[in-house]
Amino acid sequence: MDVPATGNDVKGGGVPMDNVKEWFGYDSLAFFGKVNASISHELKNVMAIISETTGLLGDLSEMARGGTPLDPDMLTSSTESIIEEIQRGFTIIRQMNRFSHSVDTPVVSVDLMEILDLVRNLSGYLSFAGKISLHAIDGVTPMATTCPFILQAVIYQAVVCSFQNTGPGTKLELSILSQNNSTWRILFDGFCPKEFDVFPDDRIKRMAASIGVSIHSDREANRLEIGVPVSMEGLAAQPGAPEMPAEEDSLRNRP
Amino acid sequence: MNPENAINILLVDDEVKFLTAVADRLTLKGFTVTTATDGDAAIEAAGKGGFDVAVVDLQMPGTDGAEVLKILKQKHKFIEIIMLTGHATVDSAVECTKLGAFKYLEKPYDFDKLIEVLKDAYHLRMQKKFETNANRMEAIQRLSMGQSPLGILKELAKLDDGQK
Repeated sequence: MDVPATGNDVKGGGVPMDNVKEWFGYDSLAFFGKVNASISHELKNVMAIISETTGLLGDLSEMARGGTPLDPDMLTSSTESIIEEIQRGFTIIRQMNRFSHSVDTPVVSVDLMEILDLVRNLSGYLSFAGKISLHAIDGVTPMATTCPFILQAVIYQAVVCSFQNTGPGTKLELSILSQNNSTWRILFDGFCPKEFDVFPDDRIKRMAASIGVSIHSDREANRLEIGVPVSMEGLAAQPGAPEMPAEEDSLRNRP
Repeated sequence: MNPENAINILLVDDEVKFLTAVADRLTLKGFTVTTATDGDAAIEAAGKGGFDVAVVDLQMPGTDGAEVLKILKQKHKFIEIIMLTGHATVDSAVECTKLGAFKYLEKPYDFDKLIEVLKDAYHLRMQKKFETNANRMEAIQRLSMGQSPLGILKELAKLDDGQK
C-alpha cells in the first residue's frame, strides 16, 4: 500500500489518519463484534456458575433452618468456587479491556509478543479452541510499528480457522522470527492443512494488505507464516531493530 | 422431597462447576440427576435409557449441543430437551426449535424458571407417551381382529420400534 512518510495529519508511522479510519471498516467491525460476543459468552458462563453456586448456598441455608445439618465441606467448596469464578471474571475483563484499547491508537509501536498473547487469550474463549504455545526470541523484543487492531484480526482469524477444523484437543505453536531487518515472521506450526485452501479469504487478504502484512503457507510443514513489517513506512528498517539471521538459518535453528 | 419432582434428568455442560452446582441444587429439590461433561458422554448415558428430560448446553467442544439434541431426539422418541446457552442468537434458537428442543434458556437464568420448564417438559413427555399408548392400544385391538398370532407379533414389533 502507498504510505506517505510525512504529513501534517499523521499518526505514528507516518500514516495519514484518513487512511487509518478507512481501514476500520466493516471487516474490522465484524471482527470486533465477533470477539466481543465470545467474551460476553465467557462472562455469562462465569455469572451462571456464581448464580447457581450462591443459589445452592441459599438452598442449604433454607434446609438448615428446617433442621437439616449443614455440610461444612459443601460450604467450603461453594465459597471457593465463587472466589475462583470472580477471579476468572476479572481475568476475562482484563483481556476485554486490552482488546478494547487496541483501537485507541490506530498505528503504534507494539511488542508483537503482546499481540500474540492477547490473541491466545481471546481465542481461548471459543469452545472449539485448542491450546496455543508462544515462543519468544531470547533477549529480543519483536517491536513493530503497525496497526495492532488489524494485525490482531488477521492473527486471530488464522487461529480460529485452524482450530475450527482441528478442535479443542489440538495445539498450535506460535513463534516469532526475524526474516531480515524489515520484517518479522510469525510462524504457526500445527496449522490445519485443510485450511490452506480457504485461508486467507478475501476479507483477511484485504485487512492484511492494508497494513503491509503478507501471508504464506508451507503445506509440507503444516506451517502458516505471517510477515509483519517492522515499520509501515515503506518497510524501512527501524533504528534499533535487531540483527536478523538469514531466512533459512532462522528456520533451520527452530527447535 | 416433593414427589412431583421425581423426574430423571440428564444434565450436560462442559463447565464442570456449573454442572455440579445445578446438579446439587436439583438433587436437593428431589430430582434424579445424571451429569455429562461433553456431548459424546451425554449420548452414551442416554443410550442406557430412563431419562425424562435432558438439559443440554449449546456450546461445547467436540459434539456440540445442537448435535446432541439432534441425536437424542432421533434415538429417544419421548425425551424432552431443554437447551441452555450463554450465547443466545435468533438463529441458534430457531435451529434448536426446528430440531425439536422443548425450550431454549439463556444463562444465567432464574433457577425457579428452570424447575418450571423441567416440569412442563416432563408433563409434555407423559402426555405424548399417554397418547402414543392409547393409539397403540387401539392399533392392537384392530390387529387382534383377523390376524394370525405371528402376524400380530410382527405388527406389535413395528409398533414398539422407537419407544425407548
